[in-house]
Amino acid sequence: MEVTPNASSKKKMSDNTKSSIFLSPALILLLIFFLTPMLLTIVFSFTNLALTGSQAQNIKFVGFDNFIQMFNDAQLYNSIGKTLLFVLFSAILGQCLLGFLIAFLMKGKNAAFRRAIGITVIAAWVTPEIVVGFSWVAFLGDNGTLNSIITALSGIEPIAFLFEYPMVSVVLANIWRGTAFSMMAFQAALDDIPLEVEEAAVMDGASRWRIVRNITIPIVKGTITTNLMLVTLQTLGVFTLIYAMTGGGPGNATMTLPVYMYQQAFVSYQLGYGTAISLVILIIGALFSLLYMRFLKVKV
Amino acid sequence: MRIGRTEKIIHHIVLICLGLIFILPLLWMLVASIDSSAIQALKIPEKYTLKNYMGILSDPSIIRSFLIGIFLSGGQSIIVVIVSILAAYPLSRYKPSYKKSFLYTILFLTSLPMTAVIVPVFQMFLLFNFVDKLWAVMLFTAGTSLPYAIWMMKNFMDSVPIELEESAWIDGASVWGGIRRVIAPLMLPGTFTVLIFTYTGSWGNFFVPYILIQSPEKMPASVTIFQFFGNYGLVNYGELAAFSVLYSAPVVILYYLSQRYMSKGFSLGGATKG
Amino acid sequence: MFKKNVPVLILLSGILLLSACTDSDNAKGNSESTNGKTEIKITWRGLGEQDNVRRYLEGFEADFESKNEDIDIVLSPITASEGDYFSKVALTMQSEETAPDIVSEDTFMLSADANAGYLIALDEYVDSWNEWDNYIENIKFGTTGEDESIYGIPTTTDSRGIWYNKEVFEAAGLPIDWEPKSWNDIYTAAETIKEANPDVVPFAMNVAKANGEAVSMQTFEMLLYGTDETLYDSESKKWNVNGQGITDALVFVDEIMNQRDLGPSLSIALNANYGSVMTQELLPTGGVGMVLDGNWNIGNYAEGGAYPIENIEETLGFVPFPTKDGEEPGFVTMAGGWSWAIPEKSQNHDAAWKVIQAMSTEESQTERAIIEGTLTVRNDSAESSDYTEKPLIEPATKALENAHFRPKNDLYPNVSIEIQNAVEAVASGAMSPEEAAASYKAKVTDIVGEENVY
Repeated sequence: MEVTPNASSKKKMSDNTKSSIFLSPALILLLIFFLTPMLLTIVFSFTNLALTGSQAQNIKFVGFDNFIQMFNDAQLYNSIGKTLLFVLFSAILGQCLLGFLIAFLMKGKNAAFRRAIGITVIAAWVTPEIVVGFSWVAFLGDNGTLNSIITALSGIEPIAFLFEYPMVSVVLANIWRGTAFSMMAFQAALDDIPLEVEEAAVMDGASRWRIVRNITIPIVKGTITTNLMLVTLQTLGVFTLIYAMTGGGPGNATMTLPVYMYQQAFVSYQLGYGTAISLVILIIGALFSLLYMRFLKVKV
Repeated sequence: MRIGRTEKIIHHIVLICLGLIFILPLLWMLVASIDSSAIQALKIPEKYTLKNYMGILSDPSIIRSFLIGIFLSGGQSIIVVIVSILAAYPLSRYKPSYKKSFLYTILFLTSLPMTAVIVPVFQMFLLFNFVDKLWAVMLFTAGTSLPYAIWMMKNFMDSVPIELEESAWIDGASVWGGIRRVIAPLMLPGTFTVLIFTYTGSWGNFFVPYILIQSPEKMPASVTIFQFFGNYGLVNYGELAAFSVLYSAPVVILYYLSQRYMSKGFSLGGATKG
Repeated sequence: MFKKNVPVLILLSGILLLSACTDSDNAKGNSESTNGKTEIKITWRGLGEQDNVRRYLEGFEADFESKNEDIDIVLSPITASEGDYFSKVALTMQSEETAPDIVSEDTFMLSADANAGYLIALDEYVDSWNEWDNYIENIKFGTTGEDESIYGIPTTTDSRGIWYNKEVFEAAGLPIDWEPKSWNDIYTAAETIKEANPDVVPFAMNVAKANGEAVSMQTFEMLLYGTDETLYDSESKKWNVNGQGITDALVFVDEIMNQRDLGPSLSIALNANYGSVMTQELLPTGGVGMVLDGNWNIGNYAEGGAYPIENIEETLGFVPFPTKDGEEPGFVTMAGGWSWAIPEKSQNHDAAWKVIQAMSTEESQTERAIIEGTLTVRNDSAESSDYTEKPLIEPATKALENAHFRPKNDLYPNVSIEIQNAVEAVASGAMSPEEAAASYKAKVTDIVGEENVY
């Protein structure tokens, strides 16, 4: 006998109908606040929409002008490069790897110790993005904590991190902020591996590295791919942190795509061109997403 | 796993070092906020004071921006949680013909950083006369975080065995009754994970309200803190630190309250089990 | 169950509470407030705690409301960096819900915003307003749009020059009534200061993109216009992209910041708060010798300002900025200024005009110039003794004799961004002056079109 909930035994509804009822609030929200802006992004990226000046009054379709301009825009390529660097170092290499390392080292340790370390990492994660920006500006400043430590230890002159190593600075801040997410995901996954599995391998005389490579990683592979994807995509859109720390500068050293979009749309008043840059961001996100789904076999 | 003594010591040392690195930037914030003469670097205060906090707490416009921030982020998170539970249910329990394509679409949408398309969003707000409306901003941010939330929630729900629900149905419960009595309590870890995740993401974001809200009296705290310290105030470190501590407090409290559910909630593994 | 739901309950009650608050806020959006008064919302660029315009406006508000019971003035500043202010203002003026009734417009944005249809022409109002004749003639030019209509009523103007700390000069053995005749004199003085006290920043100027228009106007254009070149030829309506003056101006930046190392550290120079650190902290305390900046900083040192100084002329000096090699007329300044304008989408044009009229009387104008430390735009205010007795008004007014105005062209704001890019690139050492000039040429040609450059 098939067990069914009470209501549906009275009135048979197809799975499709029932599902649609449950999904409708989500669909409405997605339609208005997700799909409409997406479509508008495509529409406006073909216009000369401007924030001020006579163009603001006479919005026109300009065909592929924005995209032709993009094609010749060295800064756009530069920004795409910076964005990929930022994602690669702060999300993939930084947050994921460090998160895994912390979770891995914590496995099997004393609960109080795990908690103490975990809290410091998580505290960074719950700190609001804008506050992270400001506290890192202070942390890396000429007279900041990091420089006082460096000077005390080695006696060298303070380093103007934000100006001499701006990209490294924002990458570090973003790793600091985001590692907790990966750490928690990996902790949950690693805790699911029975200790016996690894112990048996140790008995067989396998080396540490081989155990990690051949046993641990395959078991948590699903978590790795999912986490990698989520973290990558979250990092792609980071604006507040970079804007608060460097504003995209000095020069264009940290001008990632979201910051460049802001620059074009709201500082140079070229809303149409800014929207075309938004479209590029969306396309890069989509490519990443397809790539992960295709090659890392993220299943739904 | 049994590991060597030396190795164990190394693990502890590495972890302690990492912990220290993680705590340093925050420690500055905490200490400077009660230092009467705070500087950019971490130092032991010569004189402790609550002046920095009083300065901020006595400013009604800052208090208002805090409340507005709580309203925006809290409302967004609650909408996201409710709507995503509703959406996750059929995706986990029923087999609608469009299930697979819907889930792939959701996963795909997760990848689109909607905050980066603020210009068309602003134009849409103009078109629908949403500009300067807090509820509209709340719904927009809810909409943008929805795909992610639905996807996470669906995975959490997959891990709740259907048998439990079935036994409730045998007892005569309706679908709603089943959700309320069986699924919801078991889903608490997942729910809190989504809640916290949505809340932290939006609480520190100043960009969306900065563009979509115009009246200064409707700006949430994320914008206020940016305007105040980003332009003129980075000199007064004590107040900046106090503001930051106060500003982080709601998330920390929320995290603390929901912490016991969280560790289970973070299991992403289910996602790939198909 | 209850216990488990505590966080949710807290959030929910918070939200309910707030919906109540915000609903009442929404009701205020209407122009008619509850007591039947017409609300006039005034928007200007707020500066946080040290806001001289707010001080002036609060005084004005109290006075005006006591005389006009039918109007309720609402002060609604936008606190933002200079660049962000203009975009925020443009965003607010797009909707009737959010447009202020009176907006403070920088004269260089006025014609772009007028062309965008954001502002109403004030010609009809001005025609029947006899005070208009008391405004200084060439300043009216700044608030006239490309279509020859008047879009704003000027409020302040300004000049730029070198602020210097006389104590620093004295300690370095430099004359305290210093008058530089060429850029070389500036290098020499700065090097003398550096030798005398390496801890003092010898010379500072705006170089960070974060400081927006200040970089173009207070730095680059002050230099360029001192080389006998201009940014834009208003006769032929073409932009200068090939002039040697562009490279020369960037060379000055390079000499100060890199080659001779006479500027502040990049952490200070490239920071968004460069201006307040420099003029409110370092200059009055002798942390910097010379600062190329606007005369309005005097407002910071007056009573009630950010850093009040008694007998300011004993501590600080202000001299006009010399031309490159002392070419005629010897010194230059860029002049800018702000004005009041009425957004098209405001619902109360007539009432807004009434308020602007009241803000534009001789008395009110004089008061604003004094509080803000700016130069007045009215002939009669300029003669008032309250005004002329203020310190350093005389050299600032003298600088204005050779004033240049920014190009009246829709694309100036975009060109200005490229100026800022070039200056920052040179100052931070990312590009040589020649490279930056070449990049400037390419970018500006892109913006204005090949047919519009020379």
